[in-house]
Amino acid sequence: MTEAATAAGAVSRESLEACLATSPGWLADRRNAAWDAFTAMPVPSSARDEDWRRTDIGRLHLDRFAPAGPAAPGLLELARGRHATALPGAALIVTDPDGTVTIDHAEALLAQGVIISSLEEAAERHPELVQRGLSGIGIDDSYFAALWNALWRGGAFVYVPAGVQAMTPVWVSHLAAGGDAAAFPATVVVLDEHSSLTLVEDLIGPGADPAARVSVAVTALQLGDDARLDDIPIQQLPPATWHFQLRRASCGPSAHYRLLGATLGARLQKSYWDVILDGRGSEADILAVCFADADQHLDHQSLQLHRGPDTRSNLLLKVAARDRAQSVYGGLIDVEPGAIHADGYVVNRNLLLSQGASASGVPRLEIKANDVRCGHGTTVGHVDDEERFYLMARGIPADEAERLVVRGYFADVLDRLPIESVRDWLVSLLDSEIGDGGPSRFGEAG
Amino acid sequence: MTVQAHELTKDYKYGFHDVDVSVFRTEKGISPEVVAAISDHKQEPEWMLKFRLKALDHFFKRPMPNWGADLSGIDFDNIYYYIKPVDEMGRSWDDVPDSIRNTFDRLGIPEAERNFLAGVSAQYDSEVVYHSIRADLEKLGVLFSDCDTGLRDHPEIFKRYFGTVIPPNDNKFAALNSAVWSGGSFVYVPKGVRVEVPLQAYFRINSDNMGQFERTLIIADEGSYVHYIEGCTAPTYSNDSLHAAVVEIIAERGAHVRYTTIQNWSDNVYNLVTKRAIAKQDATIEWIDGNLGSKVTMKYPSIYLMGEGAHGEVLSAAFAGTGQHQDAGSKCIHVAPNTTSNVVSRSISKGSGRTSYRGHIKVLPKATNVKANVRCDALLLDEESRSDTYPYMDIENPDVTFGHEATVSKVGEDQIFYLQSRGIDEQQATALIVNGFFEPFVKELPMEYAVELNRLLALSMEGSIG
Repeated sequence: MTEAATAAGAVSRESLEACLATSPGWLADRRNAAWDAFTAMPVPSSARDEDWRRTDIGRLHLDRFAPAGPAAPGLLELARGRHATALPGAALIVTDPDGTVTIDHAEALLAQGVIISSLEEAAERHPELVQRGLSGIGIDDSYFAALWNALWRGGAFVYVPAGVQAMTPVWVSHLAAGGDAAAFPATVVVLDEHSSLTLVEDLIGPGADPAARVSVAVTALQLGDDARLDDIPIQQLPPATWHFQLRRASCGPSAHYRLLGATLGARLQKSYWDVILDGRGSEADILAVCFADADQHLDHQSLQLHRGPDTRSNLLLKVAARDRAQSVYGGLIDVEPGAIHADGYVVNRNLLLSQGASASGVPRLEIKANDVRCGHGTTVGHVDDEERFYLMARGIPADEAERLVVRGYFADVLDRLPIESVRDWLVSLLDSEIGDGGPSRFGEAG
Repeated sequence: MTVQAHELTKDYKYGFHDVDVSVFRTEKGISPEVVAAISDHKQEPEWMLKFRLKALDHFFKRPMPNWGADLSGIDFDNIYYYIKPVDEMGRSWDDVPDSIRNTFDRLGIPEAERNFLAGVSAQYDSEVVYHSIRADLEKLGVLFSDCDTGLRDHPEIFKRYFGTVIPPNDNKFAALNSAVWSGGSFVYVPKGVRVEVPLQAYFRINSDNMGQFERTLIIADEGSYVHYIEGCTAPTYSNDSLHAAVVEIIAERGAHVRYTTIQNWSDNVYNLVTKRAIAKQDATIEWIDGNLGSKVTMKYPSIYLMGEGAHGEVLSAAFAGTGQHQDAGSKCIHVAPNTTSNVVSRSISKGSGRTSYRGHIKVLPKATNVKANVRCDALLLDEESRSDTYPYMDIENPDVTFGHEATVSKVGEDQIFYLQSRGIDEQQATALIVNGFFEPFVKELPMEYAVELNRLLALSMEGSIG
């Protein structure tokens, strides 16, 4: 980034110019069009926009955030440490918010013909593949998608050729911007027909750093005919982060997309998880856990769009909220007229651990085809008095008891993580998040 | 001959209408002058005129809702806001004009009234033309009249409750109703009184371009019980009609109110109704809400559970045929601790019909130990049918047990197959399945309504192919 650009804000014409300078023609056109769309769009409003009704970003002033410099010292080591603990065999892509991308352990995949590179480099060298990867993301899909399309830097790109079963997973670490700065993380994955891959996406920052920061991320996943993708997104950004994310998987015929994710960090998150089931017989399973505490406001929005016949989708989001945390969930199963024999299901479960925690949600169904089977469920509950009594009676301290109950609540999702080392690591992340609350308020809930 | 022949050729069973016999109507369109003319004609007290004019202000200021059904077909300037069909209230059946009696005869009202009913409050256009209360109800101190009479004869009760559950600025259509309301029912049940027979009212729209803005106010005093039934059928007209009613219910401590509606407006009516009940301590509110007719319905009967131990039930059934959109649902707002609510919705879409369930469950921070449950099922009969579910929930207290479930499916091929294998043809089989699907709703209705509903369903199912 040039000196001139750093003087201006992260969201500025100067930032756009800096991105344009490193973009091939087609990408520069796309960025310009996205910037025009972004500047023409109103900021999402909780008074006006239905899906923003319960998430108010009136106090976010994008113009006050600076462009991101290099990642904070120690962050790269943190990323490597997490990778080494959970899945050391995976190829590792670390993206810095300033656009620097570091790639390690990719030899086995490169030998299979898999392309692993920064997204910027891929845009130059494999324009048609990157265009294919981005084809599911409209430049003006939303306010934040338009912003991202104009200003993303660096980024991770993975292409798995037809018939290739990736021998190792790919682990992508996106490092958060520094204090009072904005980052635009990017992941684009293209799986050609009959190929398969396991992807971990780890969004991290400097622990408990209280400085405000912005993260606007897009993950674009394209699954060709009969492709398989296991997608494991972890969000553990610092506590004063505004995080906006669009994660969209487009599925060709017979493709199978499996997401198993955890949302832990950020002060405010607005995350869209979309699966587009275009091809006949494509399937998606989305399973996620979310632990919210302190003043966190974590908003998940999901779309299960059934376009092709014989498509199946299933979503389960389990949230536990403590202190004054708020969980917001909005989900839509949309069955288009041609999607006969579609089978869609969505469930959102909430466990409220303290007085002051809240959960709201709208799991919607819009069904325009008739030979379908669709359903949804929502539940909100609390820790049972009997469970609490039983645990306390055994002499288990209150905070340990809370951890046990929440871990038990999350177990049916975590148990379905196919990789044991990642599951153990995730359980330890959750344990420390739950334990972080200081003296537990577990006893007060009733 | 009071029935116009061309109307009889239409599909709609009750699509006959009478020659207009109105004696007073305001000019088309809405203005402070029209509102003042209505109030003046009714010789209302000053406070009601002020209430109406203020509500009209709110109506003008509020934008049209930008969610829910398509309301672009409503032309507020092309509607008569008040029509009075006869000079005097009919005191007995014989006093009612022939043409009006003829319409009611075809709906089978007099027999029903003679045989079963506690009192008939039959609304014909904007005024109640026929009204009787059985003597024993009067002895119990139950007040049951049209709302205009309630205002005139019982001003102290009326004024204490009127507009307190649904304020005039609640939404655009409640504001419109508050400005031009006419007719509807006024019910007051004294402390400890159980009204064992249901109170019934039949509403009809008869004039072309006629808006119907009835206002119902039901007050159940401590420990009382009442079941109020509202049913609608309407003649078919070529221009769109607007129906924007307001229903307010107050259940005092320990009271129990059940409100049953069968809505069967003809398929050119916009039915935009605000219904809300307040349940105080240990009170119970039940909305039994069936929507079969109208072009567009937007109706979400609500229960505010204000007192500890209050309970709410909503049982909703909707049927949308070609060209219809039933956007119906419910709201349960848990304000007090130990409150419970249960919502069951069943909807069927046929042809290009669209049903939407739109609901809201809210649990406020002080409402501990709340139990709430919502169950929605939808059945799609044709390729082009559509069904949506929008269940909003906001839970601000951890000590809650909340569950919501919904399903959408088509009529099962297995079910049809097994019925056919027993010699039942496909159409009959589909009708059987539809009847079974609505069973939880139908079984809550009084017998004569259940019979009528089954007949209407059978009519609606004619020509359908599973």
